[in-house]
Amino acid sequence: MTLVQVKNVTKQYANGEETITPLNEVNLEVHQGDFLSLMGASGSGKSTLLNMIAGIDEVTSGEILVEGTDITKLSRGKLADWRASHVGYIFQTHNLIPVLTAYENVEMPLLLLKMSAAERRKRVEIALEAVNLTDRATHYPRQMSGGQEQRVGIARAIVASPTLVVADEPTGNLDDETTEQILELLQRVNNELGMTLLMVTHDIEASEIAKRQIRLERGKLTERQSESTNREITAA
Amino acid sequence: MKTLPWEYGVRNLFRRPARTALTLVGLTTVILLIFVVVAFIRGLEASLAASGDDDVVLVYALSSGADIENSSIPARTPALLAASLDGIQRRFDVQHISPEVYLGTRITVAGTDKKGLGLVRGVTTAAPLVRSKMQIVEGEWPGPGEVLAGKLAHSKLGCREEALSVGSTVTFDGREWRISGRFTAAGSAFESELWCPLQDMQTALKRQDLSLVAMKMAPGGSLAEVEMFCSERLDLELKAVPEAQYYASLQQHYKPVRLLGWVVVWLIAGAGVFAGLNTMYGAVVGRVRELSTLQAMGFRRRAITMSLIQEAVLLSVGGSLIAALIAFLLVNGTAVRFTMGAFALRVDSLAVVIGCGTGLVLGLLGAVPPAMKAMRVTVVEGIKAV
Repeated sequence: MTLVQVKNVTKQYANGEETITPLNEVNLEVHQGDFLSLMGASGSGKSTLLNMIAGIDEVTSGEILVEGTDITKLSRGKLADWRASHVGYIFQTHNLIPVLTAYENVEMPLLLLKMSAAERRKRVEIALEAVNLTDRATHYPRQMSGGQEQRVGIARAIVASPTLVVADEPTGNLDDETTEQILELLQRVNNELGMTLLMVTHDIEASEIAKRQIRLERGKLTERQSESTNREITAA
Repeated sequence: MKTLPWEYGVRNLFRRPARTALTLVGLTTVILLIFVVVAFIRGLEASLAASGDDDVVLVYALSSGADIENSSIPARTPALLAASLDGIQRRFDVQHISPEVYLGTRITVAGTDKKGLGLVRGVTTAAPLVRSKMQIVEGEWPGPGEVLAGKLAHSKLGCREEALSVGSTVTFDGREWRISGRFTAAGSAFESELWCPLQDMQTALKRQDLSLVAMKMAPGGSLAEVEMFCSERLDLELKAVPEAQYYASLQQHYKPVRLLGWVVVWLIAGAGVFAGLNTMYGAVVGRVRELSTLQAMGFRRRAITMSLIQEAVLLSVGGSLIAALIAFLLVNGTAVRFTMGAFALRVDSLAVVIGCGTGLVLGLLGAVPPAMKAMRVTVVEGIKAV
């Protein structure tokens, strides 16, 4: 089932007198349960595409349909509401709220949804358990390691069972060992929880854990199937 | 619209304790200054407002202008008024008519060499009948060579309150006077005066005349009757003015002082807004990434702005409460000297409304522009901000 449809999306922005076009008439389909990695050189527009699919950046032209809703047509307020119920965002720098504990950080997205306190508590506990951080629930971000912070970030992204989880360089700030743990965790999120994941990374090894690998070059997408098939296709 | 949790705003205040504490001290100081200025204005207004009684008519010299101190009227005036007017309050066959001598003079308080400018009123036992708010709170009515000290007389003289305690002495017009008691007068200007027997004062001053006659009019008695008396007895050169009107005209005299007070309130509040703005800009600039993360999660800009305002308002409410407490404990009732006597600073309900209201406005005005500036940063830029 197609979950996300990116149709003829172009992104342009001005850099002084020059107009830059990181994405030019891009097309992409993401299916329910996909784990898709997006690679490309710095400035290639991979994070821009991810942010547009997550509803935090605007397209210059084109459409992005998520479960049939064209999110490019939503007002800023409606888009915020849509993000609350459809998107879980994993940041490169974790972006936890420093004054809130791990538990409270994970609970934040749930405060935007209609839900009883008991249900919230249950979901937060499950999410923290999923990232193996139950014993750190009362810790503040400053009391945790980078890897633990990122795991809280993942718990926060999945706690509301969003339609789509997006991760922008989720291992960019981590050492090799922690990177491995985080990638494993993302794989589990996809395999065991069945969540659709879209990950931007510049790390080839990291990208290889994804079911679908997409490269972005000169504003166009190129898809490579998993190593077993080793088949390259052009998505655009 | 879903708002951010209350704890988020509260905990952010403790994020940078030193900055928060400094801001709190700054806001408290600003609000306390506003309390002091408003208490000054309110105290002055209350003192002058309380000094005038609607039923009391003052008769004094036509030539004295608006100042009773310069007035001189014949000693027979009270008897003539009593015999000629029917409208004067009378009870148990005693007419409520008070002949008085009133002057400002240099007074030395026992134990000090310094002479303070004080106000002395020579009165008879009829004075409390006319000035019904007057109440002896300690000691007794003054006998020969004695004075009754008003509650704020020490402030007018620039001495400690204990220096005018019952049994102490003061010296003026070459004579020593023993303090026989103390009185209050509902916060009116009389409280800054010394009252002594009229005859003793006339003897000390070597004068036979009076400064004024104060009369309490009976229900139905009219000012017109007194005015007619004054206009027909041209030989006495008198004028009649309702006491309330007399003090209202003095209030007009102090209007520029009050206006200046309000200007000071505005200036202080303005300075406070800039202090608040500076703090909130500092607090918000360092949190752009966090605020953008909240937006990425789905919190609306309005909810985040409200949370930032909540933080600033919490701080300003804290400052307001501390300032109000200090104002009640240390400012309220503090005596202040002015030309007409002395009055007590008054932290009343209006002062609290203005002080705390200004505090709230400081919080709001200090938070809105920085919050709006932070919300202008796009989410994409913000989530990667350092």
